[in-house]
Amino acid sequence: MKRTLWPGVVVLALTVAACGSATRQESTPTGSAAAAPASKLVVWDWKSGEPYAKTYIEKAKADFAKKHPNVTVEFVPQPFEQYYTLLGAAMQTKTGPDVMLFNGGGQIRDRADSLLPLDEYVAEDKSRLAGWEAFAKDGKTYGAPVTLQGHPIYYNKALYEKAGIAAPATTWDEFLANCDKLKKATGAACFALGNKEGIGPQFWLSGMGSGVLTPAEYDDWIAGKRDWKSPNVKKIFEMFKETGDKKLNNEGANSTAMFTDIFSVFNTGKAAHIIGLMSDIGHWKDFGEFIGPDKVGIMLAPTVTDGAMPSLPYDGGIGYAVAKWTKDPKAAADLVRSLTTTDALSSFSAEAGAIASDTTISAPQDAPVVGEIVAQLKAGKPALHVAMDSKTIDLMGRLSQKLLSGSATVDEAVEELAASDQEN
Amino acid sequence: MPTRNTSPAVRPEESGRAVEGGTKRERARHGAARRRGRSERFAPYVLIAPAVLIIVALRLYPLALGVNFSFTGDGDANGTAVGLANYLELLDDPLFQTALANVGLLVLLLPVAVAIPGLLATFIYLKVPGHRFFRSVYFFPAVLSPVIVGAIFNLMLSFDGPLNELLGTIGLGPVDWLGDPGVAKFAVVGVQIWATFGMALVVFLAGFATLDASLLDAARVDGASLRQSIWHVIIPSLSQTIQFVFVTTMIGMLTSMFGLLYVMTSGGPEGSTYLPEYYIWIQQGQMNRPALASAASTVLFLIMLVVGLLQISVLRRAGRED
Repeated sequence: MKRTLWPGVVVLALTVAACGSATRQESTPTGSAAAAPASKLVVWDWKSGEPYAKTYIEKAKADFAKKHPNVTVEFVPQPFEQYYTLLGAAMQTKTGPDVMLFNGGGQIRDRADSLLPLDEYVAEDKSRLAGWEAFAKDGKTYGAPVTLQGHPIYYNKALYEKAGIAAPATTWDEFLANCDKLKKATGAACFALGNKEGIGPQFWLSGMGSGVLTPAEYDDWIAGKRDWKSPNVKKIFEMFKETGDKKLNNEGANSTAMFTDIFSVFNTGKAAHIIGLMSDIGHWKDFGEFIGPDKVGIMLAPTVTDGAMPSLPYDGGIGYAVAKWTKDPKAAADLVRSLTTTDALSSFSAEAGAIASDTTISAPQDAPVVGEIVAQLKAGKPALHVAMDSKTIDLMGRLSQKLLSGSATVDEAVEELAASDQEN
Repeated sequence: MPTRNTSPAVRPEESGRAVEGGTKRERARHGAARRRGRSERFAPYVLIAPAVLIIVALRLYPLALGVNFSFTGDGDANGTAVGLANYLELLDDPLFQTALANVGLLVLLLPVAVAIPGLLATFIYLKVPGHRFFRSVYFFPAVLSPVIVGAIFNLMLSFDGPLNELLGTIGLGPVDWLGDPGVAKFAVVGVQIWATFGMALVVFLAGFATLDASLLDAARVDGASLRQSIWHVIIPSLSQTIQFVFVTTMIGMLTSMFGLLYVMTSGGPEGSTYLPEYYIWIQQGQMNRPALASAASTVLFLIMLVVGLLQISVLRRAGRED
């Protein structure tokens, strides 16, 4: 025993003085290093390695080279599954990249204290690009949006025709009636829901929320004043549970992965609706390839509450940010601007199948549903779940699985979410 | 005793010469001996120094840092001492409680994980028909990485997958293997056992190699059944091997299920398949809570320390029995 004890003693002795920190603290940079222009900027993302991003990256690099011919740029693509883990580790040691890609919302807000506010650099781009709110915290902008990400409710027009439904429902009751018709005529489930990772309720909350919350409640929610006691908030979760109770979802929703098993359920006509994405994956382009571009439709959330104004929920999707410790903030910010030029973004939009943040780019002709999405952008509002912190989102994922399996009631779930949301 | 009696006869002569002479050479020789004595005394320390330094610099120091971090805050409180706040938060977090409860479940399932390779090894030792074939087939999963195993079983166990189809043909309803919290944890542990029992099987077979065959023959002559031979001959003879497999299987279950969890359930459904290491990873990487993750790591370390010390004492006792 003696032999095994002494390391423990050492550990305890070192522990008593709880100093130091889990992430590295601020340190003042030495003068000369801070003043010298960076000769190289390192960019981390999960896009630049993809073939569809090649032209986009080339155009951005060319634009940047014109402004900073002496600065070389290195793009380091990382696997997305590991991205935030790797980035988190790099940020703690401050050896991370100068410029990095972020998902809008919680991911960038949680790390805002390591990022450089970009407001003074991107002022010119503010009106041309949409989706800034997802990259802002406490009034400061930390990233420039590249794409817009949103959660349209897609439906399969071919199944609708088979079931004899002329147009998508505008109320929840009508929608449920349509689900019945679709099931009888085509055998398809109403919703394709993949909730293995617990992402389902995020899409549900944002996809359906605008039909349930009043406009005032909606705006308050986004502004951070979330009234969890409101019957309308509870109603959104009741509707989610209803889809499980009434077997409106595909079978085995809790063990089907959202990324990317569930999309094939919609693609093969086994489900009539899916709350999908606008950019990157699980969107109009993917669906169009399987069920035909002209058979993909989008609908607004069915109205549940009188006075609700259904709208397209969307935010800045992905965007580039600059690390606080970069040696040449001006060059790094210019690189971010080069990555969001109209020219570069139109390439990305066309080749990657994304709704770009640049509002001056016109929609491609071969996908009519894109026109419908773009038409909804003006009236669209930020998605409800993006405004929440990642801890509450994570909790919501687990609770949603309980709602579907019946091991939690809506009241319990809303209460737990309220407690978590108000704590953060 | 005899040597002591003879030595005085020699010594007086030597000491006499030393007193007589007392030359520099003599003193130098004594000095060299002393030096040699000193260097011999230090030699072991010098020789183990590299190993100790590596352990201190690469193991104990980071460990101490990690424990230290666990008493500091996250985010805005980064770097400030927060006392036991992280540990209290852990105790309060139902997710971490689930993770610890699942560690308990693993310990309870340990006998099953040891019995399966033990039984199969017994059958192979008893030369059941096709034992050569089974010997290699059983080891095969052990060479697959957890990610590949997880991906295979994701397909097998998916709701519309082949296993449920098979159940359907014999009239049993589909089971949501990875979507039902009561089933998923057993499904994952089952896959872990499937993936790793090959290694334990090999250890058992090695143990059988030392088994005295005449004991089994004697039992057979006395008319012992298979069950009796296993219970009264094989298990007592293999007690050391069984204990060794217990220890290694335990360590394997507690430290190497991350890959399977990551691929198969992501900790779900309803957080029911969380283990401490998965919790640590989520807090560090997804929630941006490195200090909380440090606290969870410390708790996991303490659990492993206790388990490890218990196992060492079990192994020591087993060693003394012989």
